[in-house]
Amino acid sequence: MIIDPVLLQQIINGLSLGAMYALLALGFTLVYGILELINFAHFNVFMVSSFIGMWALELLGLSGQSTVLGGIALVGALGFAFIVTMLAAGVLGVAIERIALRPLRNVRGTAAMITTIGVSFILFNVILLTVGAGSMNFPNPMPVVRWDIGGATLQLREVLIWAIALLLMVGLHLFVERTRLGKAMRATAQDAEAARMMGIDVDRIVITAFFLGSALAGAAALIFGLYYNFTSFIIGYTAGLRAFTAAVLGGIGSITGAMVGGILIGLIESLGGHFFATRWADVIIFSLLVLVLVFMPSGLFGRAAATRA
Amino acid sequence: MTIGINLPVTGADAHDAELIKDGALLASDEANAKGGVAGYKIKYLILDDGTATAGQYDPAQAATNARKMVSDNSVIAAIGPQMSGSGKAMSPILSQGNLPIITPASTNPDITDPKFAGQYRPAGKAIYFRTVTTDAFQGPNMANYFAETLKVKSVYVLDDSGAYGVGIADAFQKQAEKRGIKMLGRDQLNPKEADYTTVLTKIKSMNPDALYYGGVAQAGVKVVKQSYDIMPKIIRAGGDGCYGAEILKGAGFPAAEGLYATIAAPNLLDNPDAKPFVDAFVKKYGQQPENYSITAYDAALVIIDAVKRVAEGGKEVNRANVRDAIQASKTKTLQGVVSFDDNGDITNREVSVFQIKKDDKHPLDSVLHQYKYLGAARQSSRCIRRISLLTAV
Repeated sequence: MIIDPVLLQQIINGLSLGAMYALLALGFTLVYGILELINFAHFNVFMVSSFIGMWALELLGLSGQSTVLGGIALVGALGFAFIVTMLAAGVLGVAIERIALRPLRNVRGTAAMITTIGVSFILFNVILLTVGAGSMNFPNPMPVVRWDIGGATLQLREVLIWAIALLLMVGLHLFVERTRLGKAMRATAQDAEAARMMGIDVDRIVITAFFLGSALAGAAALIFGLYYNFTSFIIGYTAGLRAFTAAVLGGIGSITGAMVGGILIGLIESLGGHFFATRWADVIIFSLLVLVLVFMPSGLFGRAAATRA
Repeated sequence: MTIGINLPVTGADAHDAELIKDGALLASDEANAKGGVAGYKIKYLILDDGTATAGQYDPAQAATNARKMVSDNSVIAAIGPQMSGSGKAMSPILSQGNLPIITPASTNPDITDPKFAGQYRPAGKAIYFRTVTTDAFQGPNMANYFAETLKVKSVYVLDDSGAYGVGIADAFQKQAEKRGIKMLGRDQLNPKEADYTTVLTKIKSMNPDALYYGGVAQAGVKVVKQSYDIMPKIIRAGGDGCYGAEILKGAGFPAAEGLYATIAAPNLLDNPDAKPFVDAFVKKYGQQPENYSITAYDAALVIIDAVKRVAEGGKEVNRANVRDAIQASKTKTLQGVVSFDDNGDITNREVSVFQIKKDDKHPLDSVLHQYKYLGAARQSSRCIRRISLLTAV
């Protein structure tokens, strides 16, 4: 079977977008799984992380697209940037939990959720007021390597993005399924009260969830910057909304759901734009979301699935 | 005596808005240093129509700002806005307050078009003046440039869904079709979206000679960047939304290299007459001005001159008299003698074409050094005929 090369190109584009959304969606799902809290601060943890990533790369003397690295230097630079960004993002997530959310842990109602919106606005405005509002040129040390695949172009950076996203997702899966802490997370997600009675330190689990979720947002942010070569204080909104939609579509609280949902949203966005027009992308995405929620209220992998963490 | 200023000094166009604001302030500062205008010291009411939620100019905020200016009795005239979307929101409010405004940058023709007078100047008189011409010339003239100079045979048109972007893209498209350029498609972008690869991939598959983008920097930066990545060899062009430091900073090189952009004014930066202005600007603000810094400076000169004439004529310096004086302007400015037609449009309709060519010897975000002036874009003969008809009437 021969696939139309343009369609193939759109699938490649969609998968790259999807990989980013999936990483971001995991943060929503991890926190929701443990606290049943929708963490809107996640939008702008992602945005702030993209700046941290940019500064990390600039610290290495990279700026704009002028410096291209290869081999060990490239792996080293990217490794350094990912580690710094993910750690910083994770710490930011934990700080948000400790400062703004823990005092509200036992308050009933929507107080905690509203607080996350407030924190989101704070992060947004801090960047706006300190860094400024223009688009920043994000360093990209990756050489431009293109392969021709059935008429479509596959670039090195896309392969790297998929590989990194896959690695992180497999890592998260193994962590949740195979480690003691992961097991404790799953137990807390099922029933926090019972988990506490069994001697699980729930605070520690909550911190772990925030750290992991935010670190993945950091990875997504770095991927965003390397892929689009720009960042700005406003990027959290659209990407965050799409990723949140992905998490809900997949079944919020489900790790597999977030991954599949992310990839799906990425593909829908690019294929929707291909077959209709780009301006319809949001309409298509959110109509689909409404349909899924009407017919499968818990999302594609929600609740019934065993992988819920 | 206060001059209101409305510009998006926060948001995606902040850098360029700042350069426009500084141009206006320089004129008023110079006047104040000479003892003011007709005994008045000029003060400013500087309002920002950029909002965090929009990430760029926000017409709703512009409307609020217009009300603020109208309700402040000391404000006798205003400068701004940079963006046509804001202009559309402000103009009806200013009309009802009889407060004249001079825009140094917003180019959407509808605002001053007598066809829409009921909408944009319900009180009747022209209050929206411009020291730049409109997209009724900027778009079509670039289409002529495409057909004649760049020999473009087919084009795909994008806009950023804003009032300015849609307007200039429409005007371009119409003239391009008239000139026999094949229109392969038209799509609208959401400026908050990060990813335009889908639509650009689609465009690539149609293999057009050129891509025309109508819009401002927020989406523009991404269009420039991603189009270079997907179609490095295609001819890319835009209007004055693509002329500015934000594009240079956000898209960077090599993505920005080769981009064509127009402005709705004569190119003055290299002009020896503007040298004292450029020197004073650099000395005061520590950076190079843009052409729209000059049109803003000119706008302030027009207001100052109008106030002077009102005072010298022995009349009260109020909004109505200043408006009438602006309408009757024959003010000597950096771009020559500025005068307006009955709708508030400037009578000089020059459109200048630039191309980004990297110049390593200067800062890479310096508009003066990275945009090379190519010449004036020719007006459509039909347009000229229509204007001469209008002026005859």
